[in-house]
Amino acid sequence: MDGTIAANEARQEADWKVGVDIGGTFIDFCALEVNSGRLASLKVLTTPEDPGAELMTGLALLAEREGFDPVRMTRFVHGTTVGINTIIQRKGAPLALLTNAGFEDVIELARLRMPDMYSLFCSRPDPLISRDMVFGIPARMRADGRESRAPDMAAVESAVAAAKLNGAQGIIISFLHAWRNAAQEAAVKAVITRLAPDLFVFTSAEVWPVIREYERSSTAILNGYVHPRVSGYLTALEERLRSRGVPTRPMLTKSNGGLMNAAEGKRACVNMLLSGTASGVIGASWLARQAGEDKVLTLDIGGTSADFALIIGGKAQFGTGELIGEFPLYIPSVSVSSIGIGGGSIAGVDAQGVLRVGPESAGSTPGPACYGRGGERATVTDAMVVCGWLGHSEMAYGQLRIDTRLAYRTVGDLAARLGRPVEQTAQAILDIAVSEMFVEVEKLASRAGVDLREFTLMPFGGGGPMLGAFLARELGMKRVMAPRRPGVVSALGGLVADLRGDFIRTVFSPLSDASLPAIREAFDALAGEGRHWLAAQGYNAAAELNLFCDMRYVGQSYEIEVVLSPQWLADGDMAAIVQAFHLTHQQLYDFHDPDGDVELVNIRLSAIGAGPKLSLPQADEVDAPANPARRLAVYTGLGVETVDLHDRQTLVPGSTFHGPAVVVQEDTTFAIPAGAQARVDRHLNLLLTFPE
Amino acid sequence: MFDRTNLQVLANHARAAAENMAHTLHRTAHSAFVKETQDFTVMLMDSTGATFAVPMELGATWYPGLSYHRAIAMVSDYRPGDVAFTNDPYSGHVATHAPDTHLWKPVFVDGEIVAWTGGHIHNTDMGGAVPASLSRALTEIHQEGIRFPPMKLVKEGVFDETILRIMSTNVRKPDLNIGDIKALVGALNTGERKIQAMVKKFGRAGFVEGVAALLDHAEAQARDVLRAMPDGTWEFADYADEDSVEANPCRLKLTLTIRGDEAVLDFTGSDPQLGSSLNVPSGGDPRHTMLLVGVYYVLYTLNPKILLNAGLTRPFTCITPLGSVLNPVHPAAVGMRSLTCARLRSVIFGAFSQAVPERLPAAPAGNNCIVNVMTTDERTSRTVIAAVNPVVGGGGAMPHRDGTNGSGADAAYLRNTPIEITETETPVEFVKYGLARDSGGAGRWRGGLATEMAFRVFAPDSRITARNRDRSFFRPWGVLGGKAAGLSDMVVNPGTEHERRLGNIDTAVLQPGDMLEIRSAGGGGRGDPYQREPWQVARDVRRGYVSAAAAERDYGVVLRGGEVDEQATRQQRARHGPPAGHFHFGPERDGYEAQWTPASYDRLHALLDALPIHWRFFAKTEIFRRMKGRAGPEGVQAAFDAVCERFPELPHPCPVREAAE
Repeated sequence: MDGTIAANEARQEADWKVGVDIGGTFIDFCALEVNSGRLASLKVLTTPEDPGAELMTGLALLAEREGFDPVRMTRFVHGTTVGINTIIQRKGAPLALLTNAGFEDVIELARLRMPDMYSLFCSRPDPLISRDMVFGIPARMRADGRESRAPDMAAVESAVAAAKLNGAQGIIISFLHAWRNAAQEAAVKAVITRLAPDLFVFTSAEVWPVIREYERSSTAILNGYVHPRVSGYLTALEERLRSRGVPTRPMLTKSNGGLMNAAEGKRACVNMLLSGTASGVIGASWLARQAGEDKVLTLDIGGTSADFALIIGGKAQFGTGELIGEFPLYIPSVSVSSIGIGGGSIAGVDAQGVLRVGPESAGSTPGPACYGRGGERATVTDAMVVCGWLGHSEMAYGQLRIDTRLAYRTVGDLAARLGRPVEQTAQAILDIAVSEMFVEVEKLASRAGVDLREFTLMPFGGGGPMLGAFLARELGMKRVMAPRRPGVVSALGGLVADLRGDFIRTVFSPLSDASLPAIREAFDALAGEGRHWLAAQGYNAAAELNLFCDMRYVGQSYEIEVVLSPQWLADGDMAAIVQAFHLTHQQLYDFHDPDGDVELVNIRLSAIGAGPKLSLPQADEVDAPANPARRLAVYTGLGVETVDLHDRQTLVPGSTFHGPAVVVQEDTTFAIPAGAQARVDRHLNLLLTFPE
Repeated sequence: MFDRTNLQVLANHARAAAENMAHTLHRTAHSAFVKETQDFTVMLMDSTGATFAVPMELGATWYPGLSYHRAIAMVSDYRPGDVAFTNDPYSGHVATHAPDTHLWKPVFVDGEIVAWTGGHIHNTDMGGAVPASLSRALTEIHQEGIRFPPMKLVKEGVFDETILRIMSTNVRKPDLNIGDIKALVGALNTGERKIQAMVKKFGRAGFVEGVAALLDHAEAQARDVLRAMPDGTWEFADYADEDSVEANPCRLKLTLTIRGDEAVLDFTGSDPQLGSSLNVPSGGDPRHTMLLVGVYYVLYTLNPKILLNAGLTRPFTCITPLGSVLNPVHPAAVGMRSLTCARLRSVIFGAFSQAVPERLPAAPAGNNCIVNVMTTDERTSRTVIAAVNPVVGGGGAMPHRDGTNGSGADAAYLRNTPIEITETETPVEFVKYGLARDSGGAGRWRGGLATEMAFRVFAPDSRITARNRDRSFFRPWGVLGGKAAGLSDMVVNPGTEHERRLGNIDTAVLQPGDMLEIRSAGGGGRGDPYQREPWQVARDVRRGYVSAAAAERDYGVVLRGGEVDEQATRQQRARHGPPAGHFHFGPERDGYEAQWTPASYDRLHALLDALPIHWRFFAKTEIFRRMKGRAGPEGVQAAFDAVCERFPELPHPCPVREAAE
């Protein structure tokens, strides 16, 4: 590309940093050569039968096309769906659970309330450990951490024998009040390790020592359930990379948006279950900060679902209780909302003659009808094709071709049933799909108490740019920012992420001067754990330690996260801590109670090791109208209009045009509605504004 | 006529507005009732006050078919920014007990009301005789707290401070009430803004026509469900264990008639209004949402895509005789109507189960027992009041799977509290929290198991209330050969010399070291248990859901060392005849109904209906006192004659003999 000599020189000095995200259909690559600032991206179809093989294919392609050299790779970060797929497909390890006698059903009862509560057929998912593999051990720890009955080790012994007989590969230990005192769990673990060294053992307190028995047990079970697969996968991956001469050890993206090394990933598998969605938001936050966008709503549309997240102050938002398949995960994770509407969502007409879209999806196989792979029902993507927004170029780096006739045929079938013209039917499918997303985003915004009109929509993923601008209009948003490479934002997220380890102590005490020593002690212990963790990841620079407390008014049954300054602890400034809580409560819930007694439930710490300081290549903006590649006929809802088609590669900083328009690029198509002013910024982001 | 191609877009915008209101209320409310129990609703209503959209994830499941029209009409001269409210169960018939406070707000466009936003919160306390304003023992509405008939609470954006002061003076937790009410007003304002945005998007005429189309659509869906059912008339009765401190059963009876795409639910034959707070104040509204909650469950179960709004109620007509437990007259107490409503739902499930036996489940446990503890923390000597876990039971067995264990069906909205949280905050120690073996009704598909909870207290005179306990005598029924489920129970110090069985009593006083065990009922079974695959029975035994003895007794499956003994099982099953009858009720109800036959009840009602309303519950109680050794209509008549003899003041003449024919 740059001539042979230049390429050779670059190769000698090259310093490659590579982010990879393995999704359901594609594996995405984002590679940055630090010295030249060159950013390369790539998509390869996944090989579910041999996870990891596609990775080597992709690296080989990168070498071939972009001059990438594995030996010059100083950073390799990847996110994978191996863990989450293991849970969704229920292909994890057979496990046994040892818990207190009398409380064996905690994991089945969960928190009782279930979704779909208007249905007499509502049910909870079957637990990952069935009741016959749950063993009640006589043992009791009190809420204050005093043991009232020591674990019955004879019962442990017979439970382990029965578990092995029934094929358990691993054992989870979860005892009541282990959040306060983990000694019982540790003692039982020591016995099991001696009795059955061939079984792996995780205790609830070592995975995530939070108060609430169901949440803690369930998190430990998820960890054990995916452990053999994830650790096997990572071992194979390390071997593959070593065999290609890669000098660096792989890092993994975590649900908390940070990174950990592979050795940690084999043990603390639960931390990587949401790695792909989390690193998408991290990548988006990074892009937003580079572009100076403060408040962003991200929109990632795939074949079967759409994911949304809020970025506020340039930062991802965090929460607990994110769903992994059917199971909630209680470690801090980047908050992402999801709805079952994507490019493959199927449209149909119900018994009363009303048109509906989703949640049934054609997925990636057979996919939308227009993919020509056997899909026979109209999807959202087919509707985009019928309207004329889609199908003017190759898609997914040339791996897909659109058959317009098939799209017309399937949407036409629905149009005939509705007695409508085919284009109007296609437009209605798009309107419905957008309105389904509208419901989910409105919920997200009202939960968070934010006004979306102050936000910029950032669409990414293969489908985000197709529908993003329409959704933004529906939500009354005035700005849309499409990154240059929307298909690889998750891979980019890994590339720019920090190391991040989260640590927790449940304190559960009234907030008063008397509780200060206990809080300080917990903070010191967590700070020690955090530094130790960073060192174990091979990070030796200055650590950033962020302190949070989960607090509430006495009598409330939920906590809110309050950011604390460690200085307040050092100074014993209780007033500042209480004030921070009142303020946060006010921001979240629109009220606070200055006279209310405050309770501190958890103290948490994030230990952060800064990632590489990267920046996007940039160029000055030179105002100039963009030259369309050609013009097309598009049905825009009102009628067929002739609109410009732009090739993204030809758009340079300062290029301007207006909607309606279509922008095509290797991995996605951007549909731009009427009324939008489009401009390319210095980072090659495409920015739409909608003047009122 | 609104364009059906775009109806789903309007439906989604309406739902988004409702979800937005729900999240706003949930986020900004103060009380645990709203935040944790989620005992609240919000809705969008058309210009007549008929609900056209509700949230699907947050809040209670009871009010998608609520119409505010009568309450709206009781306030005049609405202006932009006004909010009206009421909590009076006897005016307007939106509030159904005093803690439920309903608010509604007009949405103006061009000076005219195009829609309303509304909703309710359950206030922690509205004053009255007992904390929380709820007790089964209360006998008149005046004991259940202060009541506000429909009136303006906010006038053109300004709260009426007089009303707030009166409320604050009369309730036990004024800050919580006011905080929650303000949060609900915030939610109504949010809904108003969202409706105005919809009017902008769809146009005023488009919005109004669209809302009408949403109601019509739900109606059409409901009619399609009914049309798919056979025409016919089905009768069903079910009982609450105790009607009051008198502890006689309370019978609810339904005659369901389906003709084409319409249905009549005739509750004639249900007991007269009670001298307790178990009455359901429907006001005789033929489509009152409280009467139709069971119907919503049936419709949604048969068509999960059904739109939940007041249009659903149009094909249904309910008949509730004045002065009955389902249409009481002032000043009957109504605070604990939720217990009766659970039974009302199971009556509806039982009637529809006969209409479409292949598509509906057996009875759910139907006792949504809420447990509260008041005790003393020995470390601080302070009184602690805490809600511990609800003790609810499993769902009924479904057509193609076992009932959900531990809760489910019409109790799926309840949440529990972690043991670790309760033990840290409240000086109690749990001994057990889990599923009760052999509590699910046996069947080809097994009913969901009951929940069992036991805890100890450490301080003297610790008071426990277990509201909504029921099904300690009348079991959740099985269908199509499936068996009735296990009963609920409450026992102090089980298995010791200090054991006290509390039966259906819903309060207990515990002394230091006492242990209280509460068990719910289970869900009913479905289909012949002898048809259940032996491997499934063996798996239930392995999991501890079913004992080996019950496997042999109820399922005819003989196990040897945990494995199915094929030959012994064949022999055991060969001795078993096919099950008879649609329902299985269990020995308690069979025994009760040997005395209290349908004809007995017909006679009872004929006698009572001839009396003035305020005499009926008294006369019922006195008749029950005299039923020992008597049975059938003649027995009822003899008992009544004895009552007349004892109380010559009983109004006469009693034209009973003709009426009974």
